[in-house]
Amino acid sequence: MRVPLGTFVHARSGDKGGDANVGLWVRHDDDQGGQREERVAWLLRFVTPETFRLLCPEAADLEVEVHPLANLGGVNVVVHGLLGLGVAASTRFDPQAKGLGEWLRSRLLEIPDELL
Amino acid sequence: MVEQRAPASAAKPIRVANCSGFYGDRLSAMREMLDGGSLDYVTGDYLAELTMLILGRDRLKDPALGYARTFLTQLEDCLVDALERRVRIVSNAGGLNPMGLAARIAEVARRLGLSARIAYVTGDDVVAHFPDALTANAYLGAAGIASALGQGADVVVTGRVTDASLLVGPAVATYGWQASQYDALAGAVVAGHVIECGAQACGGNFSGFADLPRSRPIGFPIAEVAEDGSSVITKHEGTGGAVTVDTVTAQLLYEIQGPTYLNPDVAVDLTSVRLTQDGPDRVRIHGVRGSEPPQRLKVSVNRLGGHRNSVEFVLTGLDVARKAAWVREQLEALLDPRPALVEWTLDRLPGPDAETEEAASCRLRLTVQDPSAEVVGRQVSSAAVELALASYPGLSLTAPPGRGAPFGVYEAGWVDRADVGEEVGFG
Repeated sequence: MRVPLGTFVHARSGDKGGDANVGLWVRHDDDQGGQREERVAWLLRFVTPETFRLLCPEAADLEVEVHPLANLGGVNVVVHGLLGLGVAASTRFDPQAKGLGEWLRSRLLEIPDELL
Repeated sequence: MVEQRAPASAAKPIRVANCSGFYGDRLSAMREMLDGGSLDYVTGDYLAELTMLILGRDRLKDPALGYARTFLTQLEDCLVDALERRVRIVSNAGGLNPMGLAARIAEVARRLGLSARIAYVTGDDVVAHFPDALTANAYLGAAGIASALGQGADVVVTGRVTDASLLVGPAVATYGWQASQYDALAGAVVAGHVIECGAQACGGNFSGFADLPRSRPIGFPIAEVAEDGSSVITKHEGTGGAVTVDTVTAQLLYEIQGPTYLNPDVAVDLTSVRLTQDGPDRVRIHGVRGSEPPQRLKVSVNRLGGHRNSVEFVLTGLDVARKAAWVREQLEALLDPRPALVEWTLDRLPGPDAETEEAASCRLRLTVQDPSAEVVGRQVSSAAVELALASYPGLSLTAPPGRGAPFGVYEAGWVDRADVGEEVGFG
């Protein structure tokens, strides 16, 4: 089904100089069906530099690192250079990447029905 | 006189609160944390990357400044009670001038008739190694803070230390950890990282906001740190928000850059961190492993990058793309000399037949940057204003254009530990 990533994924994003970072993880608080492990496995498989660039097209030409943190049920993504020379110099909309995570959560994508 | 305090008993973890996640955070938070329940320490982070630049510019105007002034305001209100309740205060509000801030706090204490030991930690300023920088400060570890506390400090102010060190310092002072007790240090660094951004650990800036208790202001976090470095994150009773595995995960995954979190005292393996809900508004952090820290220290380097300005036009209704193209052309023709950077962005194209004027409108933003203040200042704002009756139909600006402002460029640098002479003094 095509649903927002944020259906069961939480996010928080921020800046380090000119790099943006975003954490994406599977929420704990609506795990009625005991699906969390499957959801985490899906998220860790799904988020790669390539798929991240599809969700965030402005990163198309940027170096993207994805670090899995299975113990926290999610990933840490670092997008190098998204914010230019950093918050004070950046001309990007949202120069500190405060809303980047919430934007990504609103992107629609195909998520297997059994995880929903 | 130095008053010697009994160390906390091994069985009872120390309670370390945070009352600030940045320079400008809730002014009443120090008071809220002191009054909300029992604590051993109140810590506060006042230094973001951008803050060093702001303080650098303050110091250019007046060499006696360069510290976070709101911290002084907070102490004027709270110092009496903190001393009376034996809550010690540790913050990096010293910014570029910890010694100056300590002297001001000592004045406050004298004025209030208090006998207080006010310590400062210096040695982070390494601008001599980065000659063209406005500010260059090495991220220090916990040693200076721990030493100041060991000498009986009631208040410790530092310059650039890692945010986590504000908690690791008190933990080292309490438990006497050796430099090689990496797992304990790593546990404390994780706890310090979780509380350093204030309300963000308790449901502020949190994707799951819809399910939070939101009728009261979001509380600030407390870490109960045990002798083995494990901790419980919690908050004062009766405050808003929540402490759950998700609110703590949000802060743990924030501003990290990969699976190893480097600090001057330890390299933390983030893949080892375990979080467990341990009752309402209590999350236990355990299992954290650490290893030897890097030999070099990270440096926060800020340079003056130039000057910038921006103007925002509102465009409404039909032909938005052509309206935008025309005003661009008109305005750029008036810019002589042309700023080094001229960037235009249109936020969106309004939909057809909108039911409200606002929905029929969009914003065209011009951003300019240049080494010269003149080139981006009045030249740009005058050009925008003078087009008001001479350009596309319906032209308005979201705000009167300003004179522009300088901006900085941040970058990370590195120095050898041997080049950093950390020292503790008393104000």
